Amino acid sequence: MSRALVSPSLAAQRGILGAVLLVACWEGAARGLHLPAYVLPAVSDILAGLWSKRATLVDAAGYTLLEALVGYGLGCLIGIGLAVAIALVPALRAAILPLATAINSVPVVGYSPLILLWFGIGVSSKIVMVAMAVSFTILLSMLAGLDRVDRRAVDLMRSFGATPFGVLWRLRLPTALPLLLAGMRVSTVRSVIVAIVTEMLGAHGGLGWVIYQAVLQIDFVQVWAAIFVASAASLAFFGLIGFLERKILFWT
Amino acid sequence: MLSRRHAFSVLSAIALATGSLVMAAPAAELQKASLRLKWLPQAQFAGFYVAAAKGYYKAEGIDLTINPGGPNLLTENLVATGADTFGLSGGTDSVFAARDKGLPIVCIGVSHQITPFIFVTRKEGPVKTIQDFKGKTVTTWFTGANHVLNGMLAKEGIKPDELKIQPQQVSVTPFVDGSVDVVTATYYNEFYTIQSRMPKDSLKTFVAEDYGITFPRDTLIVAEATAKEKPELVKAFLRASLKGWKDAFSDPKGAVDTVMATAPTLDRAQQEFMLTEVKRLMTAGAAAKNGMFWIDADTVKTAHDFFLKYGVISKPLDLAAAYDASFIQSIPLADRLP
Amino acid sequence: MSSPSATSLGKSGVAAQRIAMPAPLRKLIRLLLGLAVAAVIWEGAVLLFGIRPYYLPRLSTILMAMAATPRAYVDGFLRTLAETLIGFASGGAFGVLMGVVFFRVRALREMIFPIFVVSQTIPVIAFGALVVLWFGNTLLAKAIIAFYLTFFPVTVNTLLGLETVDPKQVDLMRSFGASNRQLLLRLQLPTALPQIFVALRLAASLSLVGAIVGEWFGDTTGLGVLLLQAMFTENVVAIWAALLAAALLGTGFYAVVAAVERRLVFWSAEQ
Repeated sequence: MSRALVSPSLAAQRGILGAVLLVACWEGAARGLHLPAYVLPAVSDILAGLWSKRATLVDAAGYTLLEALVGYGLGCLIGIGLAVAIALVPALRAAILPLATAINSVPVVGYSPLILLWFGIGVSSKIVMVAMAVSFTILLSMLAGLDRVDRRAVDLMRSFGATPFGVLWRLRLPTALPLLLAGMRVSTVRSVIVAIVTEMLGAHGGLGWVIYQAVLQIDFVQVWAAIFVASAASLAFFGLIGFLERKILFWT
Repeated sequence: MLSRRHAFSVLSAIALATGSLVMAAPAAELQKASLRLKWLPQAQFAGFYVAAAKGYYKAEGIDLTINPGGPNLLTENLVATGADTFGLSGGTDSVFAARDKGLPIVCIGVSHQITPFIFVTRKEGPVKTIQDFKGKTVTTWFTGANHVLNGMLAKEGIKPDELKIQPQQVSVTPFVDGSVDVVTATYYNEFYTIQSRMPKDSLKTFVAEDYGITFPRDTLIVAEATAKEKPELVKAFLRASLKGWKDAFSDPKGAVDTVMATAPTLDRAQQEFMLTEVKRLMTAGAAAKNGMFWIDADTVKTAHDFFLKYGVISKPLDLAAAYDASFIQSIPLADRLP
Repeated sequence: MSSPSATSLGKSGVAAQRIAMPAPLRKLIRLLLGLAVAAVIWEGAVLLFGIRPYYLPRLSTILMAMAATPRAYVDGFLRTLAETLIGFASGGAFGVLMGVVFFRVRALREMIFPIFVVSQTIPVIAFGALVVLWFGNTLLAKAIIAFYLTFFPVTVNTLLGLETVDPKQVDLMRSFGASNRQLLLRLQLPTALPQIFVALRLAASLSLVGAIVGEWFGDTTGLGVLLLQAMFTENVVAIWAALLAAALLGTGFYAVVAAVERRLVFWSAEQ
């Protein structure tokens, strides 16, 4: 994705052109075909609805982002922790990996009924769901990163008397960092989506709850407004982690 | 340039394809029709399944598909767009809300004549009267039951912010565990689950009718266009459905068999209990005299005035346009009585 | 989701193929033994630690519940499988196609790719009601949701794979008079194949997610329907039964995709 032959401004122009065309087609279809709001509202109506409900939507986005962030943080900690444990104590691999793979063979959303029954419809069930979804991705990308290390380099360090922990800290962790960060970046969007999906099955608040309520109140402009906000929140989260990634990778 | 034009044509083709699909949906064949339920298959809808299984719709010239509902679907919406021909929707509240939003739907029959929701608390607990709701944690569904709760509170002069009203989750466990003081239940479903976990005589219930409120639920709806252009189809559907329900009530075991053929993992005892309760709700009130799916103008008017007063709907609605009793009235009374 | 572990699985699979014939048999026996041990641990742990059935029922209870209404689970399995397969096939094909188109036509890529990225941040469940509105309770509606979740990773990896092609090799083939089509089929796609398959393995899991979530919007058969019904009747045993069936479907489909990958990528490496 890095052919710097064409000037970036042209790429940006084309990107904007694409977005404008999409919005124009959407607006044109909704207005031109006189589609009722319950089929497809016009973009302008959605933006107007977004503005008029901005207080509610910002609150809901904050609620959802909180669940996503806490779950994301927990998931990262669990994933990294398990991967490091496996790296330090290889015997654990045979115990943890099959279990993780077995649990992971069911799509995470499949667990939501169970998690909602166990943890209730408050914030905790969403955090658990997000943490589940994130921790597997992080565990697997972190493990792949830790395993990528050159065997000879490890042997060399060991021959100089480095402890397993020393090898991990000095050699394996830095090598694993790019893959870990890639996994963390992919997980951002997932964590917001998982939080919203779980909210739609039962919640006290959040974007999923707003969408659910708006469907019941036949307010489809608000459904779309909430979808727009959800998308923006995901992109912002994604951008934040991407920014941190560039900082950290640059720094090491 | 070429590629740009290409992209535009692709996009417009997509837009056209989506548009034509939406346009094509309502153009169903005359005899083909679908019924969208308000929830997943269960004995609450037994009569429709029995009528379909016994070929009553076919005998009336309708090839009917029964589509279950779900937590994120709104029956009014699917019927208004023509995605489904008939709908068994939330209730008088959701019909009013839909009309208020300009959805072109008409109610052609009311299934549950009295409020199906009750509020359950522990008999030995601190809540003895509605006044005791103040300061307590009450969970309810924000899908209609909240209006019933607000109505009961209003009748007793209690403001909703005097108690902690929370969305109710899928499980009654918080109530059974004691972390919630008052829980919302339907007679036919959650009340059964609660009773299966704690003895019935340890429970106290609050019933809307005791406070002079009735919100009829489970409304049969069609699109305005269907009511206008295909009145015979609507009547034929009602005739076949009534036959199915009469059969379901005279042979409850067989009716539960039919429902469980569609959803085999359901619990039979619970479904039999549900059918008994649903029969009570469907034959209560004005239905005892006027038959099933009767639309009681007075009850509808009372509910309308209440929703208007509490801002559930934004403006007074034309009740005659929203509730059309002519279809059900055209069927002989003997065929309507259970 | 679990691409790294699958890569290592893939390698060991290739190695096993080279040794001798009974290797697959040995692998199968080992797998069955592993499952049996897991089953014993599950059953034993529930009994030993007295875990409340509300959290984790005994495996035998779950299997008996499945055996009591086998048709519901078999029908649900097949229905969800069909939705998953259609969504996967269409999403995979569209993904590869868009990858090639974006590779060839830079302007189009710069116009549409950002839209694709944004589309992936939209929670598909918010769309569910609309998909039902547009396409009804058909198999197609679920397949479209599965498609929506599937195509993007395939597009990205196809594009990445195509860009790893050595320009010198392209020049070489061109100098022999190779057409664009020949270039694509003989050089570029085979080079991109390993990357594409990484995405296809991910897509195998994602298409199952799409099918299950799609079934939450009013349907009668499918594993997603069984999950939802069990949740609303607070039937934990039935939830676990549906989860087991979903796990079987998920692992089975993933294994098939991984096996195809081993064959194809192995073969293309030999060329």
